[in-house]
Amino acid sequence: MNDPLRQPGESRFHGWLYLLPGMAIYLVFIFYPILETIRTSFYKWDGFSNNRTFIGLENYASLLVDGQFLKALLNNVTFIIFYSIIPILLGLVLASLLGRKPLPGLTFFRAGLFLPQILSMVVVGVTWRWVFNPTFGPLNMGLRAVGLDAMAKSWLGDFTWALPAVGSVGTWVQYGFCMVLFLAGMQRIPNDYYEAAELDGASEFRQLLHITLPSLRPELGVALITTIIAALRVFDLVYVTTRGGPGDSTLVTGFLVYRAAFQQNRIGYATAVATIMTLVIFIISLVILRFQSREEQT
Amino acid sequence: MKKLAPIFSIVLVLTVLLSACTPTAQPTATQAPVEEVTLVVWDQFYRDVESQVMDTLNAEFEAAHPGVKIERVVKTLDDLKVTLKLALSESNGPDVAQVNQGRSDMGAMVQADLLLPLNDYAAKYKWGERFSSSVASRNSFTPDGKTFGEGNLYGVSPTAEVVGVYYNKGIFEANGWTVPTTFDEFEKLLADIKAKGITPISFGSLDGWNAIHEWSAVQHLLVSLDYINNFVYGVNNATFDTPENQQAAAIMQDWVEKGYFSEGFPGVGYDDSNKLFKAGEGAMTITGSWLAGELINDTDQKFGFFLLPGNPGQTRLAIGGVGIPFAIRKTTTHADLAAEYLDWMVSPRAAQLWAEAGMMPAMSIPDGTNVEAGSLFADTLTAWDTINKENAVGHYIDWATPTFYDTIVAELQKVFGGETDPAAFTAAVQADYAKFLSENK
Repeated sequence: MNDPLRQPGESRFHGWLYLLPGMAIYLVFIFYPILETIRTSFYKWDGFSNNRTFIGLENYASLLVDGQFLKALLNNVTFIIFYSIIPILLGLVLASLLGRKPLPGLTFFRAGLFLPQILSMVVVGVTWRWVFNPTFGPLNMGLRAVGLDAMAKSWLGDFTWALPAVGSVGTWVQYGFCMVLFLAGMQRIPNDYYEAAELDGASEFRQLLHITLPSLRPELGVALITTIIAALRVFDLVYVTTRGGPGDSTLVTGFLVYRAAFQQNRIGYATAVATIMTLVIFIISLVILRFQSREEQT
Repeated sequence: MKKLAPIFSIVLVLTVLLSACTPTAQPTATQAPVEEVTLVVWDQFYRDVESQVMDTLNAEFEAAHPGVKIERVVKTLDDLKVTLKLALSESNGPDVAQVNQGRSDMGAMVQADLLLPLNDYAAKYKWGERFSSSVASRNSFTPDGKTFGEGNLYGVSPTAEVVGVYYNKGIFEANGWTVPTTFDEFEKLLADIKAKGITPISFGSLDGWNAIHEWSAVQHLLVSLDYINNFVYGVNNATFDTPENQQAAAIMQDWVEKGYFSEGFPGVGYDDSNKLFKAGEGAMTITGSWLAGELINDTDQKFGFFLLPGNPGQTRLAIGGVGIPFAIRKTTTHADLAAEYLDWMVSPRAAQLWAEAGMMPAMSIPDGTNVEAGSLFADTLTAWDTINKENAVGHYIDWATPTFYDTIVAELQKVFGGETDPAAFTAAVQADYAKFLSENK
């Protein structure tokens, strides 16, 4: 660079140069692997040998009639309830409880409720596996201690309860994040709004509905996108707690990808599942963003 | 559009640069002087005691071969399985590695031409005298990797395993129970234990894989050795949809109904159920000889081991086999040295070290090895010796196809959970098996 003092408004090429390092990393570690994943999904391949056969859309076609994949997809959708909807509702309730009036020990509660979010998912999984243990887990022991023996279950091994059990761990992890997000957003809302509403005789619930909620629209969008993405790509929690069992009652697409790619040598199949999930996540994010920005304009 | 042109040119330059960078190799790196040879070995003996045995064996090998250095890389089995295939296809990958048996690991690697056939070395070192042909066939594939159980030898296993019944000696003695000798006696014993308010079989199926052992241990008593061999090797039109397999599933459901397994077993992990058993919860547990070492230390309970007994007239097969074998990378430049290393791994000295560490060696144990009579380890050795002599070494049936493990675990969890019946169970598993056989032709 023998001309470091270019005037603003000259060649934009210079600006792009600053983007180069970041772009290089993005291209090599994100963009190229994604392209390569999509390309691989058109092949039948074991992942390491040289006999790779192009089979076009066959992997995708077989997925449409693959009961296991459809079951996993359905479980992912169910996970949205536990990972996204319940945590957002809980986060809203907690934020309006903690955020409106100064509470003694607010920082303590805020930090404590946010804690699950900063733990590694593997630690969370191992801990909850212990909590759910039918013999010595605290959940069943607590239920028995208060005389609710009939409610004590083999949580993670029960065909009815395994999915809600794993899902509720997701709720436990996500609600703190939603709460902190909403708390931050609520700082922005002028107190006058609430005072005015109170003078007009609006109840706490009405205030939440008509002041807090509309003001939190950007935060709600962020919370929805991040938690739905988390629900659709859940892997670690299922891997540590149930490995998809019992039967296929907690099987999710993320685990299906892992199993097909690294245990069954079906790379083509695995990348097809991964590609579909990437696409689904992409579309959902796009819809939420569109929806949000349109509302902001009105 | 004009504004975008610079981006494209950057992308283009980058792509060219990157593609120029990646294939750079250092072809001279592996050519060390002849006296100084480094043999890279990947193994999965990561647990304390096992790891010490490996270190001792490696040190003794180095001492006997001046100039040879063993570079040992230890991984867990999961980690090894995921990384090994790519590592073996590199020209500087491990010279020797433990390769898991079965189609999805050894079979796939043979298919990709990554492993060195060991037939010549087997003749040179007379491995045939150390292992029976049934043991060798577990480490054999045809050169195309499609037929399991015959063809070339690709690995040698240092350790052996057998699945049987551990029992709590204290509980047995206190109630006057003895080791059963027929399956009827075994079921009678289960009823007696249950009547005493004790858990007959400590079990937890949350992790999945040990559900296979529970069911298959009973299956082995009902079928013939030929059937199990045909089934695992995928030959002679073997099928899973048989009355015997259904009967074994029905027995499992019967045991669940009668409460013979730990309470809440579907939600308990393998390690947790063993911890409970070790602490004196439950009279028996059905699992492999590998647990013996775990049950000796840090407990005030005394344990014994016996083979699940069959009724008169029934075969007396037991799930068993040899541990994960050592294999040689096809493109290694030190094949002869690597073969010598393999021979050392299955030498009498190795057998002695494994036995003294409480692990069952696949080779016979030399005289002078220190094994305490009447100990749990002695029990497992007797069990292995029995099925070896009676030619009753069965199989891990999940070797049958690459997807078999996942399929049968899911289906067995349904069996144990009462979500399916024996006929639907065998039909569902057979569907997986038939699909593989037709695609493998």
